[in-house]
Amino acid sequence: MLSTQGIHFQYPEGDSFHFPDITLKDKEHLVILGPSGAGKTTLLHLLSGLLPVTKGSIKIHDTEISSLGRQELDRFRATQIGLIFQRYHFIKSLNLEENLALRQYYPGKQVDKKRRAAIIERLGLQPHLKKKVTQLSQGQQQRLSIALGLIHQPKVVFADEPTSNLDDDNCKKVLELLKEEAELSSSSLVIITHDQRVKTYFKNQIVL
Amino acid sequence: MRLGFVAYKNMVSKPLNMVLSLMLLVLSVSLVTFVLQLSTQLNGQMDKNIAPIDMVVGAKGSPLQLVLSSVLHIDAPTGNIKLKEANQIIKHPFVGAAIPVSYGDNYQGYRILGTEPAYFERYAVRLQQGRIFQNSFEIVAGSSVARKLGLKIGDKVTSSHGLAAAGGSAHDDHPFTIVGIAKTSGMVVDQLLVCNLASIWDAHSHDEEDHNEIEHGEHKSDEKHHESDDHDHSAEEHDHESDHHDHVHDAEEHHHDHDNEEHHKEYDEEKEITSLLVKFKSPLGLVQLPRFINENTNMQAALPGFEIQRLMGLLGSGVKTLNGIAVAILLVSGFSIFISLLKTIRERRQELALLRTYGLGTSKLLYLVTLEGLFLAFIGFILGWFLGRLALLLVSNYIEEGYGYILQIHGPNVSELLLLAITLVIAIIAVFLASTSIFKLNISKTLSNE
Repeated sequence: MLSTQGIHFQYPEGDSFHFPDITLKDKEHLVILGPSGAGKTTLLHLLSGLLPVTKGSIKIHDTEISSLGRQELDRFRATQIGLIFQRYHFIKSLNLEENLALRQYYPGKQVDKKRRAAIIERLGLQPHLKKKVTQLSQGQQQRLSIALGLIHQPKVVFADEPTSNLDDDNCKKVLELLKEEAELSSSSLVIITHDQRVKTYFKNQIVL
Repeated sequence: MRLGFVAYKNMVSKPLNMVLSLMLLVLSVSLVTFVLQLSTQLNGQMDKNIAPIDMVVGAKGSPLQLVLSSVLHIDAPTGNIKLKEANQIIKHPFVGAAIPVSYGDNYQGYRILGTEPAYFERYAVRLQQGRIFQNSFEIVAGSSVARKLGLKIGDKVTSSHGLAAAGGSAHDDHPFTIVGIAKTSGMVVDQLLVCNLASIWDAHSHDEEDHNEIEHGEHKSDEKHHESDDHDHSAEEHDHESDHHDHVHDAEEHHHDHDNEEHHKEYDEEKEITSLLVKFKSPLGLVQLPRFINENTNMQAALPGFEIQRLMGLLGSGVKTLNGIAVAILLVSGFSIFISLLKTIRERRQELALLRTYGLGTSKLLYLVTLEGLFLAFIGFILGWFLGRLALLLVSNYIEEGYGYILQIHGPNVSELLLLAITLVIAIIAVFLASTSIFKLNISKTLSNE
């Protein structure tokens, strides 16, 4: 499903990173642990094709993403990859429901309204559908962010520090929610974090 | 979820920004459309009004004034001319139609024009109601006057001296009766109250009588009965008076001024008219008559076509200046759209990067920004267009009151659609200049940075 070999990335400013090889099967979950500055976000961006690798290979579902052209990569991201950001990113002019609908939109693809309704229901976002994203509470934003990462049923979803700034209770809740949703979407889940608490919830672990 | 919807949401989510970047565009579009409409409509109106008349003969003075006053009825007359002299022109072989006009009185600000029924034929104006005037103190009201003042057939109106509503003494003793109402022609006739020439003369001769009774002593014996009535005249007695006139007319046919074609010649020598409207029979008239009149008589001849062209030449440079200013504002407004787009693109860098992670390509983002720019331009144009029309409507009321022209509110015309196209092109240029950063967008960096 996801396999990497000898990934190397060199920033133009000078920082360079070597990452250990990763192998992940379909629907499996993985935690990548690393201290600050270990290049966690860089790895996540490399894996999701937002940054091109300098050396090495990343295969997702038998597709070598470094071999994809610009447009192919766009389509690949739109349909196969889900991202849950550390800092939530939304389209501020749209309300909660519209943000979700926009993530589902892809030219020539039917929008699955049932799925949208179901995920909204499960995450308890029903009462806030018409709210502007800026009016949502921290917790609601977190759940919307998870919904945005998974609504389009990606092959793999990458979550960047989903539990930082959360107390133990909420950390547990969010991780369970992530696991649950990833399973319901039949997606692989890759969490990248420095948060040692996450370790206890996942068998598969890689330390940077 | 269409990108158009996102573009629309982006735009309306910051209405103040939108208004700010649209203000100049709205201003320039409204200015251009307003000036274009005003100048074409005024031109058209004037052309329509002067078309039936080739030459105006009147008292010496400014030829433009003569044309404005006698044909367009928006200025004071230059003076009077003797009917005797005018008759010489009428008889000239090059002259086709010649219509004497006389004016100087008004009813509530609407001019009372003394002329011949041929005036209506000349302008091809028909009556919607009633009949043409046959006797003195009978009036055919223009459609606008009738509508504005609520005049009906049989109504009595009292003229006042002068051309303006306020001031001037009223000719209380000679009420006019409305006998006909003309159809709407879109010409100045709509704004006039038209009667025969004799009515004007009579109104004024009686006026003089009232004021200078001694000088007119000889008339008094004939009109003694008449005059005694006149003195105690009040509004309620109008009916009585017009009856009386008819009576006198029948009984004293030999003397009475209350005209009839056959009596015309009788006062030719002494009566005056304001001007003579001439249509040439032969183009030679245009070559010879104006010069002949200007050089050999006390009168002047003015050519409406030429004078109005001259006037429009003067106004035309004003129109050009205004259009120039408007175009300058349009360019500046294009620049303001550019700045505003540049600003939103910078502010929304992270959102654009997010959309890239959603799989929207650079071209899609460009499309999104272009849509926003076009929305802005389109809305600006629409608002500007309506503002221009609103201004036209306001000015129309003013012009109608002051000059009797009605400006029409038309839908968009070809030149305005061209303006829309120009506006959109400017917006597209602004978009492309503003969106270069989209091509250089570093998704990873933009998303991880604050």
